[in-house]
Amino acid sequence: MEEQVEMVGKAFVDHYYHLFDNDRPSLALLYQPTSMLTFEGQKIQGTDNIIAKLVQLPFQQCHHVISTIDSQPSSFAGGILVFVSGTLQLQGEDHPLRFSQMFHLIPTVEGSFFVLNDIFRLNYA
Amino acid sequence: MDQADQVAKAFVDHYYSTFDTNRSGLGNLYQDQSMLTFEGEKFQGSSNILAKLTGLPFQQCQHGITTVDCQPSGPAGGMLVFVSGLLVVDGGEHPLKFSQMFHLMPTPQGSFYVLNDIFRLNYA
Repeated sequence: MEEQVEMVGKAFVDHYYHLFDNDRPSLALLYQPTSMLTFEGQKIQGTDNIIAKLVQLPFQQCHHVISTIDSQPSSFAGGILVFVSGTLQLQGEDHPLRFSQMFHLIPTVEGSFFVLNDIFRLNYA
Repeated sequence: MDQADQVAKAFVDHYYSTFDTNRSGLGNLYQDQSMLTFEGEKFQGSSNILAKLTGLPFQQCQHGITTVDCQPSGPAGGMLVFVSGLLVVDGGEHPLKFSQMFHLMPTPQGSFYVLNDIFRLNYA
């Protein structure tokens, strides 16, 4: 059970940041109307508003490199909490930024997961 | 600040002041089903979690909190709390940066316990 949670966490993280770095609008498939994002303290609800925020971030290209992934079952009917740290390199910037992010994944009827909760913070020096 | 933010802030203040002044007092914030992942190492249940936290290799510790974000986690009334900050151990010269997330669940008595707890240092 424990290993399965870790596997799901890692697979989700790989998928999420691959989409973010290559096709940001397609992240819409991972959110639903009940989803919540807190991005650097700003609170946003629902797929449309969340995707609007993410696609409008002030850079064209972005590359996430993941350092750590920790996962635990959230006891919400198969839910999984995923806690990520890593760096992100923006096009044209000299120095990568460090970030932490947490996701609360909820199973869908189709057998995959959607993001109910998403909290993102940069880790400044 | 809405009510959820107030609860999160109150929890964070209580958690870290207890950690910094009376680490074994954290025992009543965890239950048998609680899970801690501490720098990648997993613990389950109040006793094992407290053993890890009280066994950490320092006498004194001081947490300084930089950011607290919270969101409701679902219909059971749970709350997710995402914290970042600094910690100084045994009066060390250079503070360590850390991030931590808590999943708080309501108790019948009207308070919260920690169901999920994940801690990571943020290295340079």
